[in-house]
Order: sequence, then structure tokens, then C-alpha cells
Amino acid sequence: MSTKVLDIQDVTVSFDGFKAINNLNFSMDEGELRVIIGPNGAGKTTFLDVITGKTKPTEGVAYFKGQDLRKYKEHEIARLGIGRKFQTPRVYLNLTPRENLELSCNREKNIFATLFKKTPTAEKRTVGGLLETIGLDHKADVPAALLSHGEKQWLEIGMLVAQSPDLLLVDEPVAGLTDEETEQTGKLLMSLAESHSIVVIEHDMEFVRQIARQVTVLHQGSVLFEGTMDQVQNDPKVIEVYLGKETTLTPEQMLLLRIAATMAWADDNFADVQQQVILDRLSRKFAHSPEDQASLRDDLTNLLAKEIPLEELVPQLTTQSQREEALMLSYEVISSNQINQSEAVVYQKLLGMLGLPPETVSRLEAAALEELAARG
Amino acid sequence: MTTDVAVQPRRAAKASQKRKLTIEIVAVVAIALFLVLVLPLLLSGFRLNLVGRFLALAIVALGIDLIWGFTGLLSLGHGIFFALGGYAFAMYLELNTLGEGQLPDFFGLYGVTELPWFWQPFNSFPFTLLAIFVIPAIVAGLLGYLVFRNRIRGVYFSILTQAALVVFYNFFNGQQKLINGTNGLKTSTSVFMGQEVGSDSMRMVFYITTVVALVAMYALCRWLTSGRFGRMLVAIRDDENRVRFSGYDPTAFKVLVFAVSGAIAGIAGALYTVQSGIISPQFMDIAFSIEMVIWVAVGGRATLVGAMLGAVLVNMARSLLSERFPDVWLFFQGALFLIVVTTLPDGIIGWGRRSFGAAVSKALGLAPTDLPYLDDTPEAEAITETPEFAEK
Repeated sequence: MSTKVLDIQDVTVSFDGFKAINNLNFSMDEGELRVIIGPNGAGKTTFLDVITGKTKPTEGVAYFKGQDLRKYKEHEIARLGIGRKFQTPRVYLNLTPRENLELSCNREKNIFATLFKKTPTAEKRTVGGLLETIGLDHKADVPAALLSHGEKQWLEIGMLVAQSPDLLLVDEPVAGLTDEETEQTGKLLMSLAESHSIVVIEHDMEFVRQIARQVTVLHQGSVLFEGTMDQVQNDPKVIEVYLGKETTLTPEQMLLLRIAATMAWADDNFADVQQQVILDRLSRKFAHSPEDQASLRDDLTNLLAKEIPLEELVPQLTTQSQREEALMLSYEVISSNQINQSEAVVYQKLLGMLGLPPETVSRLEAAALEELAARG
Repeated sequence: MTTDVAVQPRRAAKASQKRKLTIEIVAVVAIALFLVLVLPLLLSGFRLNLVGRFLALAIVALGIDLIWGFTGLLSLGHGIFFALGGYAFAMYLELNTLGEGQLPDFFGLYGVTELPWFWQPFNSFPFTLLAIFVIPAIVAGLLGYLVFRNRIRGVYFSILTQAALVVFYNFFNGQQKLINGTNGLKTSTSVFMGQEVGSDSMRMVFYITTVVALVAMYALCRWLTSGRFGRMLVAIRDDENRVRFSGYDPTAFKVLVFAVSGAIAGIAGALYTVQSGIISPQFMDIAFSIEMVIWVAVGGRATLVGAMLGAVLVNMARSLLSERFPDVWLFFQGALFLIVVTTLPDGIIGWGRRSFGAAVSKALGLAPTDLPYLDDTPEAEAITETPEFAEK
């Protein structure tokens, strides 16, 4: 049996009776990149607190490479090889990025080595390389207080790497970053994943899609679901938790919605009117109240993450009627405003993949237009 | 190659750093020589004695700067360590003045016929020399260990140190039979090295010793704060949890710094005592310990030079003002503190660096100096808020 890098067994953390973590079981393999998502208060941060020793489990055991983490203090756990990045960037503002990294890179962390030893050349070289990796080599010697928010996030990730841990715990690395910075961060994490085990906690679903292979969904302190991003986004339990109410959506219906959303995203612009079409369909199917529809609209933009290749979605349609429904809904969506070039291209591609007979296609298109007209 | 590009400025920075250090050493030696050789010619014995006392207070300010300015722990209880150093020296002087088997006078008043056990070792001068800084260091270390181990920080730490101060004050104040209680120990008429402590020649000896001790303590603090250890202290001040999760145990570092700071205060206390002629529980007055913090705030936190400058300037202002207007000094001190906190958050040194730092560096051919305490100043926040982030 290979040792898991992280193995958490039946852990419960209760604060005065409130169970922030409730019978949580979790394990991951060496070298894995795992994303943890979950609504606010699901226990994500407490989960990291348990691993890093900030909070001791009330019940249960957490193992890191077979070692019982309950026995160690925070700094000892850090020395075992677990690095943690906090939600808000936490760097030493009065030190320069170089000094920040050097403190983390230091191998001998007792007082006397810190007092009497000089930084070894090898560590200086490591720090120099890291500064380049995180793109701060030109700002290496200004106080970190002068860095932008994104640069501080990167610096903190750099500090983690400097510790050369085996397991990186990264809490919301892209909060408050621009789109471009988010993408860069994703790339950085992916490249780190080649030589580290990483746990990422994130809210930004688009970012999760960029980096995730395996996703764990936490809810009310326990694992709700584990699987690939697609499985997660199609799972009724997860949808329920994220939408915050009962829905009767089946995975198949989710799939239809997602194909429609892909059509809507085709011109890189999920227009309100298109969203309205999807929402109307939903509401007519499931008779949601107006308030529910409003909150659903907010969640959908997040949930129906853009740029899911059709090649992934369409093969999951199993029956003829599902294919027909997908076609109709998609046609409705693109017809809801002016059909432009890119929408047309994607639509043709969808047609090709569905492989429906031409007469069926024209019948469905006509029906879709009728639907639209009926709603005015 | 990128490395070549990076190496050039770093080498230049290193050269500049070396130059800086040389200039600093020259400046320190020059000032010390001035204090020892020139100032005695310019000032009367009385004034010189005052300067000597202020320099002793500058030593304790260094200790405060170490623990507060660099490590971010506001101690309001340094009077304890200051007084402990003072008492240690005064006890030795009491015993040294007497012949074999005699007891200090005050013991007779309270019917004590035998020297209390803890007085015994103070017959030895080498022991006393050690005790002056080791006892405060041990007390500070113990207090620090108990407090820091339980992760007591911020304002709670300050309150605890002040509470400890009150405990020590009351203890020393109430123990007539042990250390003459509220009257304290007089040192001015004691004999040291065959001379009366209050005599002019002895005062000169203590004055010079104070200057030497100040230079030595400054060098110690500079060494502690300049290397990796110093960066560690700043790191603890900036974000202690980050330090912990980076694999360091901040408790050990904090205990050590607090002990060193206490030791420095002890040395200052001993030197102050012999120059002022008395040690009494008044040295553990709450206001006095707060004043120490004010000196550092006025001079500039985390600058060392600022701490010394603040201690000397504030005390000089105090003695000048209180000679002329004995009633207004406290108002003036309060006003000074308010003005500094509201208009000069970085103290005199911070303000000086901000205003003239670039020009001075240029004149001396040095790289510009970083400002201390960037995070606390509103300007720094404004800089941190980059436009693109503000938009979000």
C-alpha cells in the first residue's frame, strides 16, 4: 500500500458545540493537485487549520505521509514539509521580496543558526531563481509593502515554494486578481504541481476549471462529492448546495443547459437576453418563483462556466429526444439576439456532432422560433 | 544573461553597504570621542552628570526599540529591568562601603541583625557585574516565556507588562526589611574602588563608562538587527503567523529578544543609579516606563539612532523646562507625544530621512535608505493601493 500524502480520517472539529468539520474523510495521493470548493462556511479554511496544526481535531486523526499531525505544533508541521498560503496575502511588508524569500528558504530555523550563520550561496541562488519564476526579479529589493496585490499573492506562493514543502496548501490564490493575473497564477500552480502535491481552495469556478483535475466539494463540514469538474458541475447534490435550494434538475437537464450556455458564450458575450432564454426555459420547466429566478441567474453565470468544449458535452447526450432538446434550446439561445458569425460557426459544429436528419433540424428550428415569438 | 544584469546592481549595493558601515563606524567613534574628550571641557560638572544620566537612559531606549520598534511588542514594564540592574549595583555598593561583618544602616532600623541571604553574593564585584544584566534578562526571559508561550500579544502583552511592573513596585516598596522599601538605596555616599561614588572623579569614571556602554549596546543592537535575525524580528512584527507557518518558532525568538532588551535595561539602570545617587521603587513608577516608550516614539521606532536621540532630547528638554517652569513639564511632555504621533509618525529620524534622506545619501555617495514602518503610515497605504486594484 502506498502512503497517502494526506489522509484524514473521521475528523470532527467543534467550537463550543458547533461542528465546523463533521466526520470528514479525505485522502490524496503523492503529486496530486486537488481543488476544494464549497459554499461559505463549508469548513474549507478550518480544514486547512487542522492540517497545519492551527486547530486540533476534536475527534479523528490527520496523517501526513503516515505521520500523525496531532502531535506537532504549527512550526513543526511546517518543517515536516507542509506549506500554507493564506486567504489574504501575508508577506512581511517591511522586508523586500528577496528577504521574504530568504527567510522562508532558510533550512536551519533555530535561533542560533539565524543569529550566527550567513545565508549560504546555494540558498541565495535558489532565491534568485524563485524571484524570476514569480516575476519579481525587478522588484527584488523594494519593500514588499510597495507591491501590488497580485504581486504579493505571488510572493507568498514563492515563499511557500522556497520552503520546499512536499504539500502546498493554497487558500484562494486568485481572490482580487485581474483575469490575466488569474491565468498566470493558474499556470504557476500547474507547473508547481509537477513536483509538489497541492491542495487549492477556490471560489472562482472558472479558475477551478482551468486547473482542476480532481475536485472535492465540502458542505457543512463534510465531503459532499468528489470527482472531476464535469461530474461536479452536473451533480444534483452539488447544484443544490450551490444554488442554496431544492432543485429538481437532473444531470441530463444540466447537460442541456450547459450546451445552451456554450452556445450563448460562443460570441464571448453571454448577453442578458440569452441568459433570459435559458432562465425562462428553466422556470417554465420547474415553475420557480421570481425571487428564485433572480438568484438562479446569479448562480448560473458562475455555474455554467464558459468555454466548455462541445466535444466534451455532446457525447454525453444519450437519447434521441435529449439531442433534439439540446438543438432546440441552442437554436433558441442564438436566435434570441442577432446571430453573428461566431455563433453560426459553433452552431454548425453542434449540428454536425448531433447528426440529426435535416428535416428534424428544420422542424426543431421552426419550433424554437415559435417558442421565442410566443414569448415576444 | 539575466544573471549578469542582476549581479551588477547587487555588487554596487554591496559596495554602498560597506561604505555605509564605514561612515557609520567613523561617526559613532567621532561622537563617542566628542562626548568623552570635548564635552567635559564645555560643561560644568553638574551638567555633565545630567548628560551622563541621559546617555544611560538612551541605553534603555535602545532596549525598548529592539523589543517594540523592531519586534512590535510594546513593553510598558521596562522599569522592572531598569530597577533590577540599579538595585544589583546599589546592593554591591552598600556592602562594599562597610567593613567585614557590618550591616547597612537601614537594617538596624527594622531590627534586622543578619544579612538576608540574597544580599550575600553581592559582596563579590564580578558577581554584581554579571547580575546587573543577567538577573533582568532572566526575569524578562521568564516573564516573556510565560506570556509568549500562551500567544498573548498586542495590547494584552502591554497590559501584562504593566501589571508585572505594579507587582514589582509594590513588592520593593513594601519590603523594608529586605531592601529598605520605599526609601530605596542611596549610592552617592557609598565607596567604589576606594572613592566616594558621588565624587567628581568617580562621576567622570561613570560618565565615560556610560558612553562606552552606550556604544557597545548600540553595536550589539546593530548586529542583532542587521542580519537574518533582525529580519526575523521585523517578520514577527509584520506577521507572526506567517513566521510560524514558515517553520520558525516565534516564541523562542521573542523570549530571546525580550531577555536581551531586559538585560540592556538592567545595564542602563545600574549606570543611571550611580549617576543619580539613589535607586528606589520610584524607578518602577508606571509613568517612567511609559516615558521610555515616548522617547523611542519621538526619536523614531526601529531606527536605534532615533531611540537614543529621543531619550537624550526629551530628557534635555525636560530638565531645561522644569528648571524654568517646574509646573508645565508634564503638559509639555504630553503635547510633545501628541504632536509626534499625529504629525511625525516615524519620529524625528523618520521625518529626517523622508525629508533629507535622499540628499544626504547622495552627498555621501550611498544608495537611498528604506524608511522604517512603511505599513503604518497612511502614505504607504496610498502607495499600496495600485490603481488597477482600486478599480476592482
